[in-house]
Amino acid sequence: MGESGRYLYAVTRDVDPQALRDVPALSGGTLEVLEHDEFLAVVSTVDLDEYGEEALRVNLEKLEWLEKAAQTHHAVIEAVSDLGPVAPMRLATIFLDDDSLNRRLDEWRHALTQVLDRVAGRLEWSVKIIAANGAPGASGTRDPDNRPASGADYLRQRKAAVEQRSQRESESQQEAHRIHEVLSARAVATRVLQPQDPRLTGHHGTMVLNAAYLVEAAEGTAFAEEAASCAEAQPHLEVDVKGPWPPYSFAMLEQR
Amino acid sequence: MSETPDQVPAARAYQGGMSQAGRPQPANLADILERILDKGIIIAGDIQVNLLDIELLTIKIRLLVVSVDKAQEMGIDWWRHDPMLSGRAQALEDENRELRERVDELESGKGS
Repeated sequence: MGESGRYLYAVTRDVDPQALRDVPALSGGTLEVLEHDEFLAVVSTVDLDEYGEEALRVNLEKLEWLEKAAQTHHAVIEAVSDLGPVAPMRLATIFLDDDSLNRRLDEWRHALTQVLDRVAGRLEWSVKIIAANGAPGASGTRDPDNRPASGADYLRQRKAAVEQRSQRESESQQEAHRIHEVLSARAVATRVLQPQDPRLTGHHGTMVLNAAYLVEAAEGTAFAEEAASCAEAQPHLEVDVKGPWPPYSFAMLEQR
Repeated sequence: MSETPDQVPAARAYQGGMSQAGRPQPANLADILERILDKGIIIAGDIQVNLLDIELLTIKIRLLVVSVDKAQEMGIDWWRHDPMLSGRAQALEDENRELRERVDELESGKGS
């Protein structure tokens, strides 16, 4: 084993470190909980041959390595989130030693405290709304009974189809917005995220809403039920509800 | 976790139906990555992870996440285009091309 570093998964407080004893750490290491004033830093030792700057540049691009690292990192954060408030770190936040890590916690003390206060007792729910693209025959397919008589006629038909599609899209946007308002009323905070790329998710249609909701842990079930009933009321919209997540989307620091 | 990472093929499909027993839902990897790369707390550690690299990385992941088969099935060839191009811009471009072809066809007298 070469030089080693300290990989920081998350910062928390008021949890029993023993409860994390059996959670697997990266690279077969052991999870440790370091106490630093009111904070508990969840860390493990990693080999810099695997997690140094050069190695990371290579490893992060290997899907198998990345998948394992991402899932282990996420599983640790979920385990912490089950116990108490969690301020999750981005993947691959690594220090050379504990002194350096503690100095950084001191530097970010105020912001970390704010994040932990904000997320304590709350969890994140993700809601994505997808509108199907167009009705059959609206574009692309050619209806033999409705053949354009001329080039100009054809262009008129296409123009009408495009306008119809854009109107349907704007109606879907408005419905998604109404659902977002209903769900926001049940949330402590909300964040509207970038719509995901259909080429990444494989969904068909337009993602008209990708939002995260910070919800009181005790109200999670009611939130999910509300989302499901919104979905039922709008059968032509696909409403994808996932949760509860650790509050990743609400643990971002103000200074960015 | 009871996963068997050694058996994961490099170009596995991460969408629906390909889940092996006992493994987390494959689609979750995209959701997990969205969160652990883009969200959460970004504190600079002692080990520099270049931000630009992370951005490039997400683009590469998007490529890898969709398996080659799935990609072809969906008619994906977007790595030949600007990766920043949105789906809508691409659709408009496609429609534009279709229209131009159709107009050419009509003008040459074949389509009417």
